[in-house]
Formats: sequence, C-alpha cells, structure tokens
Amino acid sequence: MIGKLFTFSLPALLVACGAHMPPRELVDARAAYDHAAATESTSLVPAELHVAKESLDVAEHKFADDPDSADVRDSAYIAMRKAQRAEALGNAAAATDSKRTAERERLRTQSAIIENQQGKLANAQDQIAKERASLAQQKQLTEQERQARLAAEKKAADAMDALSKSLAVKADTRGTVITLSGGVLFATGQAAILPGAQAQLNQVADALKTQAEHHFTVEGHTDNQGTDAINNELSNRRANAVRDYLVVRGVASEAITAQGFGSTRPIAENRTPEGRAMNRRVEIIVDRAVTAAN
Amino acid sequence: MTKFRTGLLAVAIAAPLAACGGTPKPEARMASSEGAIRGAQEAGAGNVPQATLYLTLAQEERDKALQLVKDDENHRAAMMLARSEADAELAVALARAAHAQNEAAQTTEQVQDLKEKAQ
Repeated sequence: MIGKLFTFSLPALLVACGAHMPPRELVDARAAYDHAAATESTSLVPAELHVAKESLDVAEHKFADDPDSADVRDSAYIAMRKAQRAEALGNAAAATDSKRTAERERLRTQSAIIENQQGKLANAQDQIAKERASLAQQKQLTEQERQARLAAEKKAADAMDALSKSLAVKADTRGTVITLSGGVLFATGQAAILPGAQAQLNQVADALKTQAEHHFTVEGHTDNQGTDAINNELSNRRANAVRDYLVVRGVASEAITAQGFGSTRPIAENRTPEGRAMNRRVEIIVDRAVTAAN
Repeated sequence: MTKFRTGLLAVAIAAPLAACGGTPKPEARMASSEGAIRGAQEAGAGNVPQATLYLTLAQEERDKALQLVKDDENHRAAMMLARSEADAELAVALARAAHAQNEAAQTTEQVQDLKEKAQ
C-alpha cells in the first residue's frame, strides 16, 4: 500500500517541484503563438490564430496529463507550426491589403493622367479651332481685300478710259502719259492756270485720285522760243502750278512731284507754229510702278 | 489454479501487445498528409525559399511515417503524419504570403512609375 502510494505521488511531487520542465517544442510553440498574436494576424486572420491557440491548448493539456509522453513533443511541434502558419497567413492578408491599396492608388493615378491628357487634348483642340477661325477670317479679309483691289483697279481703268475720250492719254516706257496743251492751260509767258482749263484739270484730278497706288510726275515743256533759262524757269513754274492745282483738288501731295524741262524734250518740229504749239505742253505721268507705301 | 494462472499470463501478454499493435493504420492521416504536400507543391512552395524547408520536412516526415507503419508503430506514424501535414500547411501559407508580398511590391512599383511619368 505504501509502495503504491509512493509510486502514485512521486510524479505529482516532481511536477509540483518543477521537475518536469516543458520540452523545447512546447517552449517554442508558446513563443511562436505569442509572436503571431502580436502581429496583424489578430485582426486579419483571427480564425487561423484561434486554430493555433486550440492546438497549443492541446499540447499544454497533454503536457499536464503526461509530461514525458512523446505526444507532448509532437503536439507542441504541430502547435508551433499552426502559430507560424497563422502569422504567415496574416502577412499574406496584409500584403493583399497593400496590393489593393496600391491598385486603388494606381487607378487614381491613371485617372489623373487621363484627365490631364484629356485637358491637354481639349486645349489643343481649342487652339486648333481658334487657329482655323483665324485662318478663315484672314482668308475672308484677303478675299475682301482682293475684291476691293479689283474694284479699285476697275475704277482706275474706267477713270483713265473716260479721261482718254477728252484728253490725249497714251502709254510709254515711263507709264501712262496724260498730255495737256500749254495753250489751253496758260496765257503766253504766264504760269497761272486759265479758268477755262480748270474743267480739264478737275477731270484729271478725279482720275488721278483713283490711281492711289501710283506716283505722279508733272512735267512742264516749252517750245524753243526765248532763252533756255526763261523756258526752264517757265516750264518749272507751270509744272508746279498744275501740281498745286491737282493737290488742291484732292491728289495726295506726297504722291505727286513737278519738274520743268524747258525746250529740251520736244515732241514736234519747232519750225512751224503747229509744232511749237504741240511742244508747249504739260505732261502728267502716272508711273508704271506701284508705290512701296501701298 | 493452473488454468487461472495460464489465463492471467495470457492477459498479461495480450495487454501490451494490444497497446502496441492495436492502433489501426492511420490511413486517413496519410491521405491528409499527402493532400497537404500536394497542395504545397501546387502553391509553388518548392520555388519559394522561405517555404522550401517546410515542404522538405513534410516529405521526410511522411516517409518516416510510412516506415513506422511498416514497423507496426501506427500511433507514432499518425503523430508523424500530423507533423507532416502541419509542415506542409505552413509551406502553403509561406508561399502564399511570398506571392502576395511580391504582387504588392510590383503594384506599388507600378504606381511609383506611373506617378513619375505623370510629373
């Protein structure tokens, strides 16, 4: 009886005194569980952590029931693996969450990029539309200008045609030459325009005003009667008198110049009265070239 | 009296025998272990450094269990198969974690690239 009692109580006594230290596997299992419980596994994979806890409890019970049993080490080993597994699955869940967060960020970034590109595209389209409108406007202006120029040219041509019906108008290397008889314009030896000549000059002025893009030269000429000095001075004054009259009648002053040539440029023989009458003249030359200013 | 002693002897011999050989073969555990090992292989544990060790352990424990079954150590075999299954399941979890972490890192890198391109 005493022997039986001794046999029964010895293991309990040893346990009570701490003689049965837990096996290394159980110590490792407890540490693995504590480690896993301190990670995100608690919130991310609570069910897996619970399985690990149950597995550890099994090992603890077996250790309490029979500390020397091989089952204790096996159960503790399994509990450790369950704890490690819970932690690994927690890490996987955390990584999956990170990936989802990154995917949302990627979508936001892609949307921002697309929005930005759409904005740039819209701006470019606006710019193209503005440039097209500007081009169309320029084209319209150009066409209007062309039409206006054609109309002005026609008006100028018509004016010169009308002038040619009453005055001598011809074209030579200098341009279009309008010839006015000196006898009609001036009294002999004078440079004042006769009243009777004003109607002709008015007609000339109206025609010149339609030639806005050209320069005009008024040339005074005499016959060979008298000295060159007198003829030069007279032809110069007559040319300027005509110029001044035309300016008063609206021809642009900067577009018209005057010069006297005396008897140096006759167009007929000075031996006959008819020839001398022809040589006494004023010529208004519409330059062939269009002025740079226009 | 002789018969009684003979009976006691028979019981005395049979009891330990039953204790050793009485446990049935752990066929269900064997199937679970094999399934877990196959699952770990399919999860790519063999290609993940963190998981490879546990897959190898699971296979070795499975092989030890087979030997224990041959030696009629069925209880020890069952516990060895439980270890094998736990190791294989850990290998699966580690492979899954490595895969998820790799994907998360790639996605984060893509986001970073996108942001750099967007600037």
